[in-house]
Formats: sequence, C-alpha cells, structure tokens
Amino acid sequence: MPDKQKAARKAASPDKEEVRVGVYTCHCGGNISHVVQCERVAKALGKMPDVVVARTDPSFCSDAGQAIIEQDIQELGINRVVIGACAPSLHEQTFRNTVTRAGLNPYLYHHVGIREQDSWVHDGDPEGATEKAVRLMAAGLAKARLLTPLEPIRLGAEKGALVIGGGVAGLRAALDIAHQGIRVTLVEKSPFLGGRMAQLESIFPTDEEPRQLLHALIEQAAAHPSITILTGAEVTAVSGYVGNFNLQVTQHERGLSEELAEALLAACEQEAPDNFNYGLTRRKVVYRPYPGCYPSTPAVDWEHYDGRPIQVDGKAVVLKDKPQVHALTVGAIVLATGFNPYEPRQGEYGYGEITEVVTLPQLIRILAQVPQGEPLIWNGHPVRDVALIHCVGSREIEGVHTPQDDGQVNNYCSRVCCTASLHTALELRRRFPEINLYELYQDIRTYGRGHEEIYNQAQSAMVHFLRYRGEKQPEVAAAPPGDTHPALVRVVDTLTYGEEIEVPVDLVVLAVGMMPSPIDALVDMLKVSRGNDRFLLEVHPKLRPVEMAVRGIVLAGTAQGPMNIQESLSAASAAAAKVAALLGQGRVELPPFVARVDESKCDGTGACVEACQEEGAIALQTFQENGHEVRRAVVTPANCTGCGACVGVCPKRAIDVQAWTLAQYEAMVDALAMDIPAFAEAEK
Amino acid sequence: MSEAKTNPPSRGELLKQLREEHASSVERTQVLFREQRSLQQSICQMIRETPKTVPEIAAAIGKPSHEVLWFLAGLRKYGIVVEAGMCGDYPLYQKVEEK
Amino acid sequence: MENLHVDALVLGGGIAGMQAALDLADQGFQVALLEREPSIGGKMITLSKVFPTLDCCSCITTPKMSAVAHHPNIHLLTYCEMQSVAETGSGFRLAVVQKPRYVDVNKCTGCRKCEYECPVTLPSPFDRGLGAYRAIRVPFSTAVPQTAVLDIENCILCGKCEKVCAAGAVDFTQRAETFEIQATTLVVASGFELTPLNAKKEYGGETLQNVIDPLMMERFLAPTGPYGRVLRPGDGKEPTSIAYVQCAGSRDQTLGVEYCSRVCCMYAIKQAMLISGALPMADITIYYMDIRTFGKGYEQFYQNAQAMGVEFVRGKVAAIREDDEQNPVVKVELTEEGRIIERTFDLVVLSLGMVPTAGADGILSLPLGEDKFIAIPAPNANPCETARPGIFVTGTAMGPMDIVDSIITAGSVASAASAYIREHQKETAYA
Repeated sequence: MPDKQKAARKAASPDKEEVRVGVYTCHCGGNISHVVQCERVAKALGKMPDVVVARTDPSFCSDAGQAIIEQDIQELGINRVVIGACAPSLHEQTFRNTVTRAGLNPYLYHHVGIREQDSWVHDGDPEGATEKAVRLMAAGLAKARLLTPLEPIRLGAEKGALVIGGGVAGLRAALDIAHQGIRVTLVEKSPFLGGRMAQLESIFPTDEEPRQLLHALIEQAAAHPSITILTGAEVTAVSGYVGNFNLQVTQHERGLSEELAEALLAACEQEAPDNFNYGLTRRKVVYRPYPGCYPSTPAVDWEHYDGRPIQVDGKAVVLKDKPQVHALTVGAIVLATGFNPYEPRQGEYGYGEITEVVTLPQLIRILAQVPQGEPLIWNGHPVRDVALIHCVGSREIEGVHTPQDDGQVNNYCSRVCCTASLHTALELRRRFPEINLYELYQDIRTYGRGHEEIYNQAQSAMVHFLRYRGEKQPEVAAAPPGDTHPALVRVVDTLTYGEEIEVPVDLVVLAVGMMPSPIDALVDMLKVSRGNDRFLLEVHPKLRPVEMAVRGIVLAGTAQGPMNIQESLSAASAAAAKVAALLGQGRVELPPFVARVDESKCDGTGACVEACQEEGAIALQTFQENGHEVRRAVVTPANCTGCGACVGVCPKRAIDVQAWTLAQYEAMVDALAMDIPAFAEAEK
Repeated sequence: MSEAKTNPPSRGELLKQLREEHASSVERTQVLFREQRSLQQSICQMIRETPKTVPEIAAAIGKPSHEVLWFLAGLRKYGIVVEAGMCGDYPLYQKVEEK
Repeated sequence: MENLHVDALVLGGGIAGMQAALDLADQGFQVALLEREPSIGGKMITLSKVFPTLDCCSCITTPKMSAVAHHPNIHLLTYCEMQSVAETGSGFRLAVVQKPRYVDVNKCTGCRKCEYECPVTLPSPFDRGLGAYRAIRVPFSTAVPQTAVLDIENCILCGKCEKVCAAGAVDFTQRAETFEIQATTLVVASGFELTPLNAKKEYGGETLQNVIDPLMMERFLAPTGPYGRVLRPGDGKEPTSIAYVQCAGSRDQTLGVEYCSRVCCMYAIKQAMLISGALPMADITIYYMDIRTFGKGYEQFYQNAQAMGVEFVRGKVAAIREDDEQNPVVKVELTEEGRIIERTFDLVVLSLGMVPTAGADGILSLPLGEDKFIAIPAPNANPCETARPGIFVTGTAMGPMDIVDSIITAGSVASAASAYIREHQKETAYA
C-alpha cells in the first residue's frame, strides 16, 4: 500500500514533517446527516490538499468509530485530525483521548461543530447546509494544517474543597468529600446549619422526622476531623482556577460568648419576625431557631438588632458585629446554595390581602405549633374547610400569568409540591378528621417511589380533587360580610366537565414552587452560568450533570433545580464523587489554550499588560541580552484564561493564543471565503 | 479438580460433543432455515423486476404482511433488498441486482 | 478466565452501571463491570434521541461505552452470568460463568463477514424482535466489545462463519468457564424491563400487530432502526395517525403496578415530537390522566410539543380493537367531556411502565419493596444503600427513573461505595 510506505517515510524523517490530514464527517446518528449530505462533504474535503483520507460514519464517537480514526493514524500516518460532528463541548475531549491512544499529540486535532452550527439551524435547506459544512470543514482543515503539538498545563491541586451552603445537600457533599480524604470547609450564610429541611416536620414518603435525619448528618460533619464549619459566613472574593481557587470568606461575629449566651438569650427583649416560621411569628433578636439546632450557641440577628444594650446581671451589654475575614485555598467548589419558596405577589390568590391565604411552607410551620389533639384555629376561627391550590409560582404560562418583577414567569414544574401538599392534606385529615379538604390541581405529579400511594391514600381519605386548566386559574376572594366562611375559592373544574364550582373556605393554602436562592454576587464572582429558569446550569444533563462550565465548580441539590430531599442527597453525593476524582491525584491539568509571547517580536510595549483582565496572567520583565536590558512580556500560563485581549492590542503581533493563533484564524477565514465553484468543482 | 493429568479433549472430540449436545436444536433450526430460505427466495423473486409494497408481496405469496415486513427488514439490513420509492403510504422494496 | 480481585463489582452494564463504574474508576478504585449480554449499553443504547435535549442517544451512550472499555481501572466482563455470592471477611466472593461466544474476542475484528455469510435469520432483540440478525452476529453496530457472538441454540453448525473468518476467530470448541471475583463492595445496576405488552388484554398488545411498545417506536425513530423509517409493523404502512395510551402499564392496581413509572410522559412527548419531524403530516394524540413532566426543562418540552400541534387528550382508554384494515380502534372515555368515543388510528403505542429486571436480587438475597424493586431502608438518609451492608444499588434497579436521574444516582452510588471501601479496607487491614 503506497499510503503505508508514505507513513513509513514520514516516520523515518520526523523533522521534515509532511502534513497528513484525516477528515471525518460524522452523521451524528442522523442529527447531522438528516440535513447535511455528509458523503458530499467527505468527497469535497477528500480532494483538498494534504487530505489523505476523508470518511463518514454514523457516529465517530462510538467505540467502532473511534477505532477507525485510531487505525488511520497508525496505518496511514495521519498526523492531523479534523472531525466535523456535534458541539466541541460534547465530544472534543472524547476525540482528544482517541488520538492520544493512537499515539498522536491530542492538540493535533481540531473539532468542527456542524450540528449546532449547521444541521440544527438549517433544517429544510440541505443544499445550503451541505455547502456550509464544506466551508466549516475546509476552515477546520486550514487550521489543522497549522496546528502544533502542545502539552496541557499541569499544576498541583489543593486537596481541599469549599462547600457553599449548609443545608442537607451541602452537608451530604461535605461528608462524602471528607470521606475521600479531602479537607472541606463548609460555609453557611445563616448562623445555623440545616437549611430548608429543618423547617419541615415530616418527610414523605417515610414520615421521618427531618431534624433527626439532619442532626445525624450534622453530628458526623461536626465531628469529622477534615471538616471545618463556618456559620454566619459568606464568600466575598474569589480568584484562581481549578485546583487553586483563592477565596475570601467573611464571617459575622457570633456576638455571644459561651458564658453569657444563655443569660443574653433570656434577657433580650427586642423582637423581630421569625424567619424560621416564615414571618408568621416573632422571636427575640438573640435567638435559636429551634431546640437542638447547630451550633447550639444562640446567634444575634444582626439585621434586626437595634444596637440597644441588653441588661445582664446588672450590666448593659452592647452586641457588636466584627466580621472576621478568612482566606482559603481550595481545589474545588461545591455550590449547594439551595432554594427559597416562591413568594406570591401581593394579591396573587389573595395572598397578603386576605389573611386566610397562606403558603404551604407556612402551613407546615402553623401545624407545628398546634399541639397534637387540639383543633386548628386560624384568625380566631376553627378551621372547617381548607383549599390547597397547586402550581403557585410553577408551570406559569407566558401571556397568562403576571410576570415577576424581573419579567420572568416560572414555566417549570417544582417537582415536590404535589406530593408535599397531598402529604400535608393527609396530616390534616389525620389530626383534624372533621375538616373538608379540597386540592385544586392541574396534573397530580406524584412520580417518586412511594408517592403514588400518598395520592391513593388522599383519594381514600375523602380529599376532594378539583382540576383546573393552566390558562384558567382558580380565583380566591374574601367572602361578603356575614357569610359562613371568610373566603371563597372559585374554580372551573374539568373533572365535572367544566362546571364552575365555588368553595367557601376558612384557609387557602398555596402550594408554592421553588426559586433559586438569591446568589447574584456569588454567580458574578465565580463566573458561572444560570439557565432560563435562573437555577444554576450544568454543562450537560447526561454527560456532566453536576459540573459547571467553570472547571472545578460542581453543583449539589436545589441550587440546580427543584428536587426533593432524596434527590438532593443523591445529587450531592454525585457532586462529591466528581470532586474526589478531580482532587484525588493532587494535581490537575489545564488546557494549553493560553497566550504565548514570541520573544523575537516582543519589544515590551506593555499594551498586553494593560489589556489583560486576569490578575497575574501577564507582566513585563527585564532581561539581559548581549549586554543590553530588554523588556518583554511574560505569561503565567496558570493565570491566563486565553481570552485573547492581549493578542488584539499587540502592535507587533508578538503574542498569540496557543492553538488559536492569528495565522490559524487567517487561514480559516480564507478557507471560509473560498470561491463557491471550488465546492462545485470538487464534486465532479 | 483432581491432580491426575488428563489430556484435554481434542478439537474433533469437542466438535463431536457439540453436535451431540445440540442435535435437537440443530434439527429444529434446519427446518426453520429451509422455510426461511424458500420464503426469502419467493420474496426476492417477486421484487426482482418491479418493486412492490409489503401488502402486495404478502398477497402474492400468501403470507401475513407482518411476516413479510420482518423478512424485508432483514434482507434490507444485509443489502439484499433496498427501498425503491413509495406507493401511497407504503414504501416499495426491490431486490438489489447481483453483480 | 483468571480470578479477579477488585474494590467494587458493578452488576449491569446499562447507563447506570457504566456511569457508576466510571465514577468509581475515576477515583482510582479497581472496578469490575459484569454484564450478561454480549455488549454493554443496556436499554439506553437502543433509544433514538433523548429528552429534553434531543441529543442523538448514541452520541451520549457510545462514548461512555468506549470510556468503560478503555479505562485502565475497569475490567469489563461481558456475556457473564453471576452464579452465586458468598460473604467473606473482606467483602464478597462471586462465582461467575463466562458464557461461550464461540468467537475468540482477542482475534475477532468485528468485520461482520461471518454475519453476512450466516444462513440463519433470527428476530433481533435489539430491535424488539421487529428487525433481524443472524445466528452469528455483532449484536448491534455500536456494540462494545465489537465482537461477534454465535447463538448456538439457533445454529445449524454449517461452519460457513468459520471458513469466512480471515482472523480465524470462530471457535466451536469454546465452553462455558467459571471464575471467581472477589470484591469489597457490590453495586447493583440490574435495570428494568417494560411491563409486558399483553399485560392488559383489553388493549390488544401482542395480538394486534399495530399496537406496539415504546421501545419499538424508539427503534423506528433511530437511524439504525429495522425499517430505516417509521412504519407500522403490521403491514409496512407509513402511519398518518398515531395514538399514545399513557399509564398503559403503570398506576394500575389490576396489574400490580400501582406506582408511576416516571418516564412515560416524557418519552411519549419526545416520540411525538420526533414523529412530527419524521412524518410532518402525521396526527399524534396522547391520551393521559396526568402529564408528569417534572424534571429540569421538561415542562418547557411539554409546552413545545403542544405548540407543535401534538394533541393532548385527557381520557381513559377502555379497550383497543382492530378494523378490517389492521387499524387499531381506540375506545376512550373523554373524562373532561363525560362521553365515550371510538377513534381509529394507524398505529397505537402503549406507554408501558417499568418493572425490575429479575435475577440479581435473588442471588444476592436482597429484600424488595412492595413495588418489587430493591428496597432502600433509609431513602432520605442513604438513598443508594440496600438492606445488606456493602451492597449498593443504582439506576432503575431502585425504581423507575429517567436517564438523567439514573446518572445522578450512579454518581451518588460511587460516593457511597467508595466511602464504604475506604472504611472497610481500613478495618480489615487492622483485623
């Protein structure tokens, strides 16, 4: 075979390397080939200079597909690989591994996205899409000719992780990471651990006591020698990169010494709304949210404390917040920042206007304060009829629902509210057998293991189900004076073929959905992305479901989207597994796509240093050369993000981003703009 | 396992053993194979010249449509038959010309 | 076969098992992955495109299969059956049978010459029996390993495969071999089966040719499917009207499947969207009780399907019969209108639910829940722990779930199992 001989020749004289390109156009299981005529693309590319082989395959990312590429590298002496396939974010790394296995430097491969950038956006124009694919692939080929071998940047990684959020997901992640021999700092914004789970009274489907489960976790975490817990603390500055994130954590003063704490708690008179009970009750500004909380030392509600002295043992004690700043270096960050229950708008289903309207999380707190065996009294009246309205702040429809202040409508399902409201309905039934219960829903989504049983039980327990349509929401109104009940709920019920039903009630419960915690500052600092639903966005729901696009940052729990406790635990453990794999070796590899200075051209103008956005990425240094002092730019690869700002401003063209050089860009642009006849001709 | 060394059975012995062990399944499969061969031949015969739809072939050879479709799926997979346009809502199948 | 000693043994090479193996191996543990079929990939590799991203399924699955095959810490054992398990002081000892492929895996190149030569055609389970393969074959185009396997039970021993194999890989002298695996911990990823197509007799599954299961539709929609397009299996007609019957195997006390199978709403909607793409003129109707699109991005997916013209009808399907032209006729109670109608379609898909794959739990003597899936004693504390210490579970072996959730539980089980391994190996080192 002549090709094999060529390959042998090439091996014999490696210094004069002949460029031998293999071009692979993937059908992507039909995703590309349904629009782009891949065979024509391969044929056109096959006739271009330096292309030794041009092939197609139903999926090059499959083992068999990868084997074809490996074989070509080994048998045909292919030394540059161009693959036209899905977006690089999916399989660039897959193919880097492929070429590495075949003995080629992984950076002698270029990935062309002809799915997202071509077939998916030119559906219905196969001719145009095919031509575009040829151009994109030709540009990839032009770049590939100029590729040079590169090595990844290898750095030591700090064997420590920061977990942000001390709810159930954060605690689980912290423990699992610590179990793998990695140090963990757990930062919780509030003065107490436990998060939203602590505010629940019973967990479906097992009816377990949530604070008991939480405390099992908290005890382990607090006792673990590798875990440091910082409560009342927030991340206030971030720099660095995977393996070496430098963080500043600012921690509020606890405010109370151990000896004085109990006395202060007893003596404090100032009150503030109790967030633990969603503002339904008041508590002291020196407080414990609930008995058995962690840490057990009371905290000061700095937001509400008015600074007045508290009299203890005849002394006036003034509490002062002196925030303390901690500096940390960690290899990875886990975001377990959790959720907030959706806060209905003023007047939404009468919320905030009719005192009989509460949210489901509030009802759970209300029920927690009613002693077992005693009746449910609300606003001084015994409660006889309760309506629970599903999908409040979830499954909203653009054009039907009033947008929130930021213009958003929550078009997602919050996953937990159906089971949670049915579970609560069953509790109401058990504790107050006389109450009439009405569930107003669109679809009952009791999807989880043991959840459908809760729905079945609710049906057997004489809970009345009324089904409304998303575009025709129920209405809540105050009843006219003298009516038997304080409020009225009106609903067009599709289960009775569209009958309009009016239910007089004593209590309306809004099964509110989940909203991500407000973490704008953190999102900005970490430069991570959020989805349209405003929850944190994973790279890919199946390929990298707990990782964020910024390497070294992973997601745990409801910061990513609505989940129940079991799901949050699983997600947190999955995140921990990623951190353990990442930091277990004590080193990380970063891609070599960083700026590089051509010493022969650089004359130290310093323009690059001014343009650089990253701290410590590029600096001028003075060198001695032939007895002269010269100044040149020097890049610190670990700090460079490869943004290219320096490249644009250098008057000497002395700086380039590796694997994305100006020469490569120019070659790509030329190829993209090639004459159309070149395509037609190649087809002959 | 006993310590005493026994010679491993020869290839011939192993094959013989295999034949004996599977005598009944071989027999059953041979019957199946003959049926398949004749059916496949009659399907291919039908569509050698002009492409036909599944119900047309089924009516002509007196077999249920779903069975014919299954055979065509196999023949198509192994490159013996190809699709050759549509007749209403039904694809047409044709035998590939032998080289 | 040589005996193996590993930190973790993963039982099942579907998406959950593969991901669990990868997540454990990436942490530096030695992992054996045991799969009873000749290839890994499980149910997922048979799918067309996957919700909610509509990625080509093969593009998500095959790279993971490849990664498993090439990972230096993973011992991939396909076509193996677990025989027995014994607890030892330091973990578990399994007796495993390597079933004979009658093909030398080290010699076979996967060229499929033998398959083309083989005279016996059989229904391919990969295509749910609606496509065909030969008695010797590479199980499917993206199989890992890319190695032929001979089905001796359906072989006429003609020897053609042996003659045509240039690599000399066909070997009729192979016999089943038993070997031993010692593992500190076990991860059960034995997956699911669909509820039987004929479970509800009144729906006509298996009797009526044009009443199919959803995995059949997946194959029709996949580019490698048996017909290369969407046709109804009864007579090869391109369907112009298709009905989906939701909860056809779930939420049904008469079937003993009271639970929701979680994935059926989404796969029906996804298939409806894909069919709309493949057959733009087709009318698609989905009969449902509740639409349960609860996952991230799923509600939007549902809304998109409605906007595309997929018809969602709240109704209870009572029965399905066939007219003279093999068309299924659906009798349905329209629960929003209070009347019963009959409507004729070209094709009906029964949105079947999930039941556990039988087998692994018995050999491992794992207690089951009322739903027959492996019991998890403390789901809100240790969501992947079974009742037996050292045995963990992931994916659909622990109950119905979709791919996204399976992958999450795989990561989760990797954490739980690795913590157990470290703890246990520390203990036994001092013992």
